[in-house]
Amino acid sequence: MAMTSPHDGHADNDLIEQLSDYIDRGETPPDDFLNRAPENRIAFDALSRFRSMAQDILDEDVSAEPERDDSWVAGILTNIHREARAGRSIPVSHSSPKADLSLTEGAVRGLIRAAGDSVAGTFIGRCRLEGDVTTPGSPVTVNVDASVFWGERMPQTAQRLRDAITTSLLHHTELNIVAVNVTITDVHLRRNPKDA
Amino acid sequence: MSVTGSDERSPLSDATDAILAARAADGDLRAFEVLVRRHGPLMRAYATRILGSNSDSDDVVQETFITAWERLPELQDPAATKAWLMRITSRKAIDRIRARRQDQPLGEWDAPAPESESPHQQAEAASQRERLTRALGTLSEAQRQCWTLREIGGHSYAEIAEELDLPPSTVRGLLARARQKLMQEMEEWR
Repeated sequence: MAMTSPHDGHADNDLIEQLSDYIDRGETPPDDFLNRAPENRIAFDALSRFRSMAQDILDEDVSAEPERDDSWVAGILTNIHREARAGRSIPVSHSSPKADLSLTEGAVRGLIRAAGDSVAGTFIGRCRLEGDVTTPGSPVTVNVDASVFWGERMPQTAQRLRDAITTSLLHHTELNIVAVNVTITDVHLRRNPKDA
Repeated sequence: MSVTGSDERSPLSDATDAILAARAADGDLRAFEVLVRRHGPLMRAYATRILGSNSDSDDVVQETFITAWERLPELQDPAATKAWLMRITSRKAIDRIRARRQDQPLGEWDAPAPESESPHQQAEAASQRERLTRALGTLSEAQRQCWTLREIGGHSYAEIAEELDLPPSTVRGLLARARQKLMQEMEEWR
């Protein structure tokens, strides 16, 4: 190993590799290693400092960016393929035998989300229709995850969600809903209070 | 529902990443839009750090979110959406670099960066961030990428080795050289 003069101020590569192994394993080197030579301690402190600077640097980069117009968001949204999420096809009856109507599973999930979101302080997350929705009249269970606003009373909120979803599905679909199960998976707070 | 972004704040913007990612996986474009707005700027900053300039970072961000939309149904832990997006971003950024250097194996682009301005001229650099950014500018591209993936992206040596298509021992050496160089550059300004 190349020796480093204590006065040139530069830790040698070998020392940095050893210290890196500790730091990258999330460990602090043993004291006798750090105390063996001043440059060991200096190098370790410097590397630890770089790490903590690195943790913040992206947030600082974002803050330093000038405000941008919205075109980048639109550019992304117009380029994604929405059809991929349509799911199963749910038949809808019609008075004319010649008509062949159907609703996509994705559209029903959209109805369920909209119904859930209309209940104050809640957001619907994942949403699943269990059962053979492609056969009219077969029993269907709705399982949804939901998030409630911090401080809401969960049992009452879950009941309101169930009611809203059941009512909406009765109105808008012919599905034979036997149960609506709501699992509260998350609690949310108000973000960006300045915009509220 | 309009596809173009509106300035109006979405009611969904209070929702957690987990809820938004689950909804987007189910096909909710509005939830996805909130994720794009929430994390897009950070992904752009990350791409810029990996690429070394912002000339391609908008393209990387766009590719990242298009891929994210397609793969959201596979995301195991929707609460880890940000880390997952960062991983996609780094992969897309590295793909860019690879495409730029089609004729050259990645391991051989460890050429020294151009001489930096003298430390004395930079002494007045205002923030720590600016100083670190300038110091990073003195690294070779490979050193900077290893450092960025490790310290900002939190990747392991093995992951960096896989992404950059280098042996882990090379990654270890590049990281050590990157850190040594940063120490020199930063110390001279103290």
